[in-house]
Amino acid sequence: MNNLRTPSGHRVYGMGAEYPSAAALYNAAKMVRDAGFKRWDVHSPFPIHGMDEAMGLGKSWLSGWVLFGGVSGLLTAALIEFGPSSFLYPLVVHGKPTNFMTVPAFFPIMFELTVLFGAFAAFFAWQIMNGLPRWHHPLFNWERFSRATNDGFFLIIEARDPRFTELEARDLLERSGGQHITIIHED
Amino acid sequence: MSDRPHTLPTPEGEYFETNRFTGLSVLLGIIAFVALALCGVGAAIDPKQLSFSWLFAFAFFFTLCAGCFFWTIVHYATDAEWTVVVRRQLENIAVLIAVLAVFFIPILLLRHHLYEWMNIPPGEEKTLDSKRAYLNFGFFVARAVVFLGFFIIASQLLRRFSVLQDKDGNPKFTIWLRRVAFASLPMFALFLTFGAFDWLMSLNYRWFSTMFGVYIFAGTAGSSMSLLVLVITALRRAGYLKDVVTMEHYHIMGKWMLAFCIFWAYIGFGQYMLIWYANMPEETQYFLTRNTESWWALSMLLVIGRFFGPFAILLVRSVKKHPSQLCLISAWIVFMQLLDMYVIVLPALHGTGVHLSLWDFVALIAIGTTLAFVYLRIVGNTSLFPVRDPRLVESLRLVN
Repeated sequence: MNNLRTPSGHRVYGMGAEYPSAAALYNAAKMVRDAGFKRWDVHSPFPIHGMDEAMGLGKSWLSGWVLFGGVSGLLTAALIEFGPSSFLYPLVVHGKPTNFMTVPAFFPIMFELTVLFGAFAAFFAWQIMNGLPRWHHPLFNWERFSRATNDGFFLIIEARDPRFTELEARDLLERSGGQHITIIHED
Repeated sequence: MSDRPHTLPTPEGEYFETNRFTGLSVLLGIIAFVALALCGVGAAIDPKQLSFSWLFAFAFFFTLCAGCFFWTIVHYATDAEWTVVVRRQLENIAVLIAVLAVFFIPILLLRHHLYEWMNIPPGEEKTLDSKRAYLNFGFFVARAVVFLGFFIIASQLLRRFSVLQDKDGNPKFTIWLRRVAFASLPMFALFLTFGAFDWLMSLNYRWFSTMFGVYIFAGTAGSSMSLLVLVITALRRAGYLKDVVTMEHYHIMGKWMLAFCIFWAYIGFGQYMLIWYANMPEETQYFLTRNTESWWALSMLLVIGRFFGPFAILLVRSVKKHPSQLCLISAWIVFMQLLDMYVIVLPALHGTGVHLSLWDFVALIAIGTTLAFVYLRIVGNTSLFPVRDPRLVESLRLVN
């Protein structure tokens, strides 16, 4: 948490700038990346190819959570299938054995629970990693930002970035061609 | 938008220098000649064994070539960008089906050793008589002619138009190619399915599985994508396509390999489980032969080696972006396709257990070296990638 406050007493969320085009935003992102900022983000009406690289994002670890979810689904299915059918209440159905060799009948459930748990893990981990769900976001305090879903290209440096100072952020955003550079309130 | 520096290739394209590889070509030619002659000897000494070995080798190479044909038509049908730089090699491999059509003739000549239903006169077996409308020699030949004729004509057209476009870059060829592709898609599906029924499933005329054609297709698509990785890497090792094919293309090819690895398992298991569950003798006989005696070991190797192993390895992203690692796994998948065809064809002859024969290898080498020889002859005739394709630049700048 930062303790920066505006003269009116509001806590500062960060500093935002608007760019005229996707290409300008792309180049600005590379400048901010090279300046060493870590807590910042870009917003555009559509995905921009190569932006991950320009922002220096690296690999997302969402896949790790999906793997975890998938493996737990597989194990859950194995437990709830082999548990009753092989150990608690073995019952011969359709002349099929009750030992491990009956596994073909169990595969569909194993497959489905693997997919289901993997999908759950993907959905919830994605929500948490994105800080969702939430009622409101400080960015909406900036009126211009509503254009982000229409024709606006924005770059926001957050105040909690250890390198953030008003002077340095403003200077960088100006040099990268940002317009309407604004301090955004937290509340 | 990529900030990777990129040099655009010269409009002349890149040409494979055939005379650099004359030695290899001659060697392949000699081996092919000797092996084909040996197959002739085999047909005289042990026609039964040779016919099955030949069908096994034919099925293996046919699926690889038909798979490359499949990826070419899918490229046009979906207006794909990434495939452009590797497409010429797909076309080059697909036209090899013309050679395979010649190699189908021995199957017709040796048909009485392969297909039991051809030897049983009408009226002797009721189950067979009810299938006579489909399983009769005249219709069998007619179908083979139609199937192979379609593959030859369509693959030639795909390559011809694509090569013509190299000269002037006229986008009308892309439109024509798209038409060929759309007409080919349903025919490819039908002909590969019924080809699989005719040539492989009818080895045991009492057995049937509606899933069989899809099963063959699943193996076909995955293994031919693996073959493409091998061919592209071999060309890169020889010094070609260095600035053209990037790790991004490898990544996509790896993703397709993973996708079809899963699809193969899905279809293969779907076929197995329904038959296993229903447990009806006329259906289970196929799997009973293949998971008893020593065939069991090969079937298990197939399950583990065609699915579980490659699946776990291909999940890792860095493997898909690393050509030599991806090549290892590609070679393994192609080998597994070979094993798959072996386990489909040979138990029809050696129902009591695996019986490796010298002729299996001779037939494999004969067809394989002939195809490699022809491939080396045609690969140098055109640029190694379509130089004036409208989507070439997008393909060169591919970002995943």
